[in-house]
Amino acid sequence: MTGRACEPDGHCITCGDEGILMRVLEAHHETAVCVDEEGERHQVAVELIGSVSRDQRVLVHAGVAIA
Amino acid sequence: MKFVDEFRNAQLGQALSGEILTELEPGRHYKVMEVCGGHTHSIYKYGIDDLLPENVELVHGPGCPVCVIPMGRVDDGIAVARNEGVIFTCFGDMLRVPGSENTLLDAKAQGADIRMVYSPLDALRIARENPDREVVFFAIGFETTAPSTALTLRRAKAEGISNFSCVCNHVTIVPPLRALLESPDLRLDGFIGPGHVCTVVGARPFEFIPLDYGRPVVISGFEPLDILQSILMILRQLSNGRCEVENQYTRVVPHEGNLRALEVMAEVFELRPHFEWRGLGFISQSALRLSDAYRDFDAEERFQVPGVRVADPKACQCGEVLKGVIKPWECKVFGTACTPEHAIGTCMVSPEGACAAYYNFGRYAREKEAV
Repeated sequence: MTGRACEPDGHCITCGDEGILMRVLEAHHETAVCVDEEGERHQVAVELIGSVSRDQRVLVHAGVAIA
Repeated sequence: MKFVDEFRNAQLGQALSGEILTELEPGRHYKVMEVCGGHTHSIYKYGIDDLLPENVELVHGPGCPVCVIPMGRVDDGIAVARNEGVIFTCFGDMLRVPGSENTLLDAKAQGADIRMVYSPLDALRIARENPDREVVFFAIGFETTAPSTALTLRRAKAEGISNFSCVCNHVTIVPPLRALLESPDLRLDGFIGPGHVCTVVGARPFEFIPLDYGRPVVISGFEPLDILQSILMILRQLSNGRCEVENQYTRVVPHEGNLRALEVMAEVFELRPHFEWRGLGFISQSALRLSDAYRDFDAEERFQVPGVRVADPKACQCGEVLKGVIKPWECKVFGTACTPEHAIGTCMVSPEGACAAYYNFGRYAREKEAV
């Protein structure tokens, strides 16, 4: 994701205040493994949205789920 | 992917475009500002401008965090990065933002250890892995990003990580909007509200716009149909004589925002008395600094920074673009002296900036029109 952020036809999703929709694959205490629409997996901090469960959709910004 | 594909449906887009036509008052010119840089990017990427009638004009607002960073703050970051033993971390777009003499990328080429991160949590991981080095995170962003920085600092404090600090440039969206609404040279009919900022702060902070200034606001998602529907909702409010904050992005934005995120932000940050915005000048209580409880993590306390105010280059008209007074291509240096590869102004650096978005997605169409 970091690489994509610096391509001329891409954009920095963090600088753009953009949230990325992801699906939860594995839920742990304060983190979850999530997958984005391109199939890429991410470690996401989930403590700002409370507990999450498998297949739940979350909005992720800068590695942190905000909704 | 569910909640994505259905919001990119071309037939529905054309239908919405047709509905927009039915809400227009003949002979009236409408100016609608999209506040968020993410919306600007989507508008150009998906050609939403081309689906609107000529008398509906989209004005690009100040909601690109990179674009509003003044040069002096970049100089401060570079000064910190050049300290021996420092690992300086920042988001990708920050690397190419011009300071008075250099960019962070130039400083990196000259030997500073500057690393790009996707999340402040990555910067904290680097600090854990390098206990003998000082790791500094250059924090930028509106209320969407501020919770990530706050959460990172709360974790750093809980873990007792003392080699981590932060140059805090987080800004808040409401004060510049108020400044724009007070600006005599700008006439706007309505606002497309910043969907992801509202995920955190909710809808309430925007209620002053219809109440005090009589302009409708529609909080919008970022897919093409989200934006078209939001424009339709604004025009419908105007044609019905209504004026309120509506939420188009209900699948994500709760009215009250994210209370956990607001709580961690209140713990870690406090308002700065004033902060300089590129093109907009100093705006009171428009930015965040670390609270007393987190002062130990403030890189501006830990390192010496120049803290000098630097005037923008004379040729650059980012200020007028940010205020929506001129279109990107009306700037004297757009596409000639100022390009994404060699940006003079910040609006050309970040793809969320109106100039870069137009350069990347709209320039060729305009050239064709001219022929």
